Amino acid sequence: MPRKTVIIGGGAAGLGSAGGVKAADPTADVVVYTENEDVAYSPCGIPYVHGGEIPDFERLFLAGKQAYVDAGIDVHYETAVTAIDTAAKTVTVAGEGAVAYDQLIIATGWNYADPGVPGGELSGLYYVKNIRRAMEWDKVISETKSAVVVEAGPLGLEMVTALAHRGVETHLIDPNPYALAMMADPDIMKPVEDSWRELGVHLHFNTTLEAFLGDDDGKVRAVQTSGGEIAADLVVISTHKTPENSLAKAAGIKLGSTGAIIVDERMKTSAPDVWAAGDVVEIPHGLTRTPLQGLTGSHAYAQGKTAGTNAGGGDRAYRAVYVPWGTPAGKWVIGGASFGEATATALGIPYVKGEAQGISRARYYPGVQPVRVKLLAEPGTLRLIGAQMVGGGEGIKERADFLAQAIRFGMTLHDLSTMENVYSPAIGALNEPIVVAATNGVAESKKKA
Amino acid sequence: MAGTGFFGWLRSNSEHYLLIAAHQKLAKEQGSPAPRPPKGAKEIFWLKVFAPTYAVLPWPLRSRIMRAMPGSHRQTWAAPPRSQGPAV
Repeated sequence: MPRKTVIIGGGAAGLGSAGGVKAADPTADVVVYTENEDVAYSPCGIPYVHGGEIPDFERLFLAGKQAYVDAGIDVHYETAVTAIDTAAKTVTVAGEGAVAYDQLIIATGWNYADPGVPGGELSGLYYVKNIRRAMEWDKVISETKSAVVVEAGPLGLEMVTALAHRGVETHLIDPNPYALAMMADPDIMKPVEDSWRELGVHLHFNTTLEAFLGDDDGKVRAVQTSGGEIAADLVVISTHKTPENSLAKAAGIKLGSTGAIIVDERMKTSAPDVWAAGDVVEIPHGLTRTPLQGLTGSHAYAQGKTAGTNAGGGDRAYRAVYVPWGTPAGKWVIGGASFGEATATALGIPYVKGEAQGISRARYYPGVQPVRVKLLAEPGTLRLIGAQMVGGGEGIKERADFLAQAIRFGMTLHDLSTMENVYSPAIGALNEPIVVAATNGVAESKKKA
Repeated sequence: MAGTGFFGWLRSNSEHYLLIAAHQKLAKEQGSPAPRPPKGAKEIFWLKVFAPTYAVLPWPLRSRIMRAMPGSHRQTWAAPPRSQGPAV
């Protein structure tokens, strides 16, 4: 009799898990429960449809419903799982009752942190997540004159840029002194903020949200902040991700200090035959081992593959993370890996810095773009511990990927200052900015020695 | 819904206020935008008492404290793969 794997959640982690189970055990029964109308779409693409870079939402769908039927994966749409009983090995499903499992994978994802201010029940508050709702909100944006984006997290950056591109009078409020302050450095974000101002965005930093203010119809008309009232037809909430851990918590599965599920390298939880993956789990950072929660879709998918493979009887290990990241913001692309100056300083980790302002291709070749690289290394050994970059777009993502691997494998500024690099006028500069930054970092460390 | 008791409370507050303290330090050193001054007993405690105390502790001790907290980092995790001699 085939083993039955139940998966709660139809996002990247849930579907990655489903594929992992089937790859490990093609005979397994795999059932996915999702509260949404769809699976296999990219919620991360929603801001780019709003901004007009992607012409329609249909392009965000990666696979049709039939693809999962063909793959032997039984997806139950718009179906809530309301409880897990790890002793009886059942889940309670709305409309179905108790459903038994042999293996369970929790991939319930994340929620936006509750803004925790009055007025949260008003209409006109947009939480970007579900694609069907996004289609409806896109029509609202077409008629919106002014909008406030609450907090400059990764999604906030994308939505500020998108709304500005749509010609909406856009205000950004954030309690920190600059954008993306929980992960990026102020000098990296400065050009982004300048480009937003050029687009007409009003930036309100060191500004705290105090209330959403509504009209007589129960629709938001303004936000009250520590800096005064800002009128708005639409408010985009982009507070930080919190793990959707309510089912796991109620089932007695152990949670860590981030509030996310504790897992090991096989994505196994504290409960027998229960795995978890994606934003509902926490993963240790490769250098400090401090657990992190709320990573990217690529992390969620890879974790899902791992959980699914192991639940299906295979053997696969996920590893501690070094978190390459990047996104377009304003007219720039920013990115990095592991620590920036702000996060290293917050943890009290000493570092040597190497910086360079370079270019993306030969300076005479049309389309050349600036690339600023900042590398952080451990004093003494000069082992790389972090990097941040801002540039015109070309190669930021690839450098972030490469530098995360460089950190993972313990490369030093010496290694990077002597690395080989592609040179071809149309695609690469003679002086690779990473090499120049590393060379400058080596020189800087000698000055301090 | 987070809600993870004492360790969750400690983690979220220390993470938040240590980052603000870092922003203050970078603002002094680099002239970057500074956070607003602390107000209220809670902010004053975390920024004027906790953050400076944390800063004077040596990194090995801070690291030990962080690792002693419950979390995924206390489970089994493979070390990064290392090269194993010539590939060809």
